[in-house]
Amino acid sequence: MSFDLNFIGILIGAIMASSVPLILAASGELITERSGVLNLGVEGMMIIGAISGFALMVVTDNLFFAVIGSMLSGLILSLIFGLLTQSLLTNHVATGLALTIFGIGMSAMIGKNFVGIPGKEFPLLFLNFKESIPFLGPIFFGHSIILYFAFGLPFLTNYFLKKTKTGLIIRAVGDSPTSASNQGINVTLVRYSCILYGGAMCGLAGAYLSLIYTPQWIENMTGGRGWIALALVVFATWSPIKVLIGALIFGGITILQLHMQAVGLRIPVQLLSALPYIMTIIVLVVISRDSRKIKLNTPTSLGQIFYKEK
Amino acid sequence: MNTKLKVSEISKIYPGCTANDKVSLEFGSGKIYALLGENGAGKSTLVKILSGVVKPDEGEVFLNDESIKLNSPLDAKKNNIGMVFQHFNLFETLSVFENLSIDSEKKDEDLRVLVNDILKKYNFKIDLDIPVLNLSAGQKQKVEIIRCLIRNPKVLIMDEPTSVLTEQETDDLFTSLKQFSKDGILIIYITHKLKEVLSLCDEVAVMRKGKVVSVSNTIDEKIESLANKMVGENLNTIKKKINNLKSSEEILKISNLNFKSDDPYETNLNNLNLSLKKGECLGIAGISGNGQNELFQILSGEIITEGTSIMFRNKEISKLNPRERREYLMAFSPEDRISQAAVPELKIYENVALNNFKSSNFFEKGLVNEKKIKEHSKKILSNFSVNTDNVELKSQFLSGGNLQKLIIGRELITSPELLVCFNPTWGLDVGAINYIHETLIQINEQGKSSILISTDNDELLKLSDRICVIYKGELSKIMNADTVTAEKLGILMGGGSID
Repeated sequence: MSFDLNFIGILIGAIMASSVPLILAASGELITERSGVLNLGVEGMMIIGAISGFALMVVTDNLFFAVIGSMLSGLILSLIFGLLTQSLLTNHVATGLALTIFGIGMSAMIGKNFVGIPGKEFPLLFLNFKESIPFLGPIFFGHSIILYFAFGLPFLTNYFLKKTKTGLIIRAVGDSPTSASNQGINVTLVRYSCILYGGAMCGLAGAYLSLIYTPQWIENMTGGRGWIALALVVFATWSPIKVLIGALIFGGITILQLHMQAVGLRIPVQLLSALPYIMTIIVLVVISRDSRKIKLNTPTSLGQIFYKEK
Repeated sequence: MNTKLKVSEISKIYPGCTANDKVSLEFGSGKIYALLGENGAGKSTLVKILSGVVKPDEGEVFLNDESIKLNSPLDAKKNNIGMVFQHFNLFETLSVFENLSIDSEKKDEDLRVLVNDILKKYNFKIDLDIPVLNLSAGQKQKVEIIRCLIRNPKVLIMDEPTSVLTEQETDDLFTSLKQFSKDGILIIYITHKLKEVLSLCDEVAVMRKGKVVSVSNTIDEKIESLANKMVGENLNTIKKKINNLKSSEEILKISNLNFKSDDPYETNLNNLNLSLKKGECLGIAGISGNGQNELFQILSGEIITEGTSIMFRNKEISKLNPRERREYLMAFSPEDRISQAAVPELKIYENVALNNFKSSNFFEKGLVNEKKIKEHSKKILSNFSVNTDNVELKSQFLSGGNLQKLIIGRELITSPELLVCFNPTWGLDVGAINYIHETLIQINEQGKSSILISTDNDELLKLSDRICVIYKGELSKIMNADTVTAEKLGILMGGGSID
């Protein structure tokens, strides 16, 4: 029995690990969208973060530089998005799509020389607790620092948006940029900051994939996780806590259906593979039914270009 | 504390329009100043300059004889100039308190104490912890005013503050403004309503086409003298329509209209019943946001409601969509000309074609017959005196008045039996308003019916045969127009009851 319990603990630990990139990217994008900016470039920024992190790890042999570098690369990509949408007033949707296409192509090009190179072992914390405590050990211990950060992030984001002045200003800008501007808030600056933060978090999500989750470089290794993160933000109705729940459900069902495939259940593989997407949407739609709350959480100006009167 | 505010030789030129042409004015505290003018006279530009939202091309602003730079709204705040815009600058999804705290340097606890003091002092009743979208327009305005008062303003500018208020709310506002003035705040009151100038203000500056044309004491003025200064010509106002219904034939009958919305921005409608006779104009008054939008959309078929019966010329049409309703000879002129009635990026003739999908003349085998549509459009332009004969012009380049003429013309050229219009003269100049009013009277004289949903009481009293008021989604009883006065409407619009 104790073996079974421990196995479940390991399974939960694996589920948590698989949901980290989604939590990071979605939490970043959530802040961006709360300021009224719709950046569809999440997938592109993630994959650039993944290759930059991996390449820097190979070149410098330093994981710290690799992680910081991946965040910077995500940030730089989002800066391009910011320049285009905030300063040159281009359409958010088209620019974001372009960013994703650019990121995927660029990462494939840089990554050519890094295919097949083995990754470096990322330090995991509290490894001895993981083994000594059954069930709870594999859940709470033996993870990378980034995982602990990712699981704290939605709560921090929630607190930040609800309780701090800066959070209030971001929500105000997302609600009505014109009013905010008339109140003397620098809308462009706020939106730039949120875009850059979102970019850095997407870069970090990418680094988690290429440095920790599957420590190697494979072309297209984000595999659509950026799009899932984007969808999570919307289906979670811009609530950080619901993003966390959604990411866990998605990660959980992904891992479980893999096990089900391995066990050889007589369910078509295609159906099992589709299960995480379907279940995540159903659960989030069900927990976000209150139309009043949706209205209050939705950034009213999402995706709208803001012109300042001169 | 004495405050002197002076604007000197302010000019602001937009492409194709001189909004402010060397405007010079002086104000001193202890008085309430009116800035009077029609839409587009340049009042709003001037106050945007004073509040730092817009930068002037030329000219200076002096506060207590010192030249001040107003490059941003922050500068205006630093100089203690407060501004309440016509379109509220509030964040609808944030709570009242969040709206107030967002630009205050004070700690939340201190701010709450201060706000509660202000609420008590001026007898405002507002729950600080509910989202702004749940407030009435009058309450939202109070939030805006409190936001200014927090900063101990020397100057308070009110831009057309009563356009969304009931008569009672207007009275309350005037009481507050007089109190502020006594407390030493200089008040600049922007309006195009003449009665308000006379009842509230001490001095009045009239603007026309970007220039100040007159400054005087209000005691020396009368409604007529101010009107003539404002318009720059002697007004030939249309007389109130004479009620001479020839027919008693009922053309429209609505029973048990109920509408419940999940959308917190929308208003529920409760058991509306009304009927309309041939050749009659039914006016529906009310403060905006009391269900007019929803009622219009239900009449036009944009919203289909369950359990409602709409009989039009003895046919049940409640399940029909807008296009099908047009085929039964109903016509609609929505409130928002740009986003609901016309597509601004499309050419005039394309906009004309849009609501004539079924006309066999315009479309053959799925192809557009441009020639026919253009001829038809030219006819509309000339019949309804739209100030262009170029049907290729994009609709966005038409002025509001011309666009409204095009929209009404497009509807009327098919000789509908019923026209439903919603604020048809909203934001138009006097000339265009007169034209639209004449047109609406004409269709009644031709034996066609109309429903006029409007927030402009003068318009309603002028054009309607019968009037009712919509308040919080409910209709008052329908009254004969000759028994109705503006005061009665005001009471009903504010939720009161008469007799």
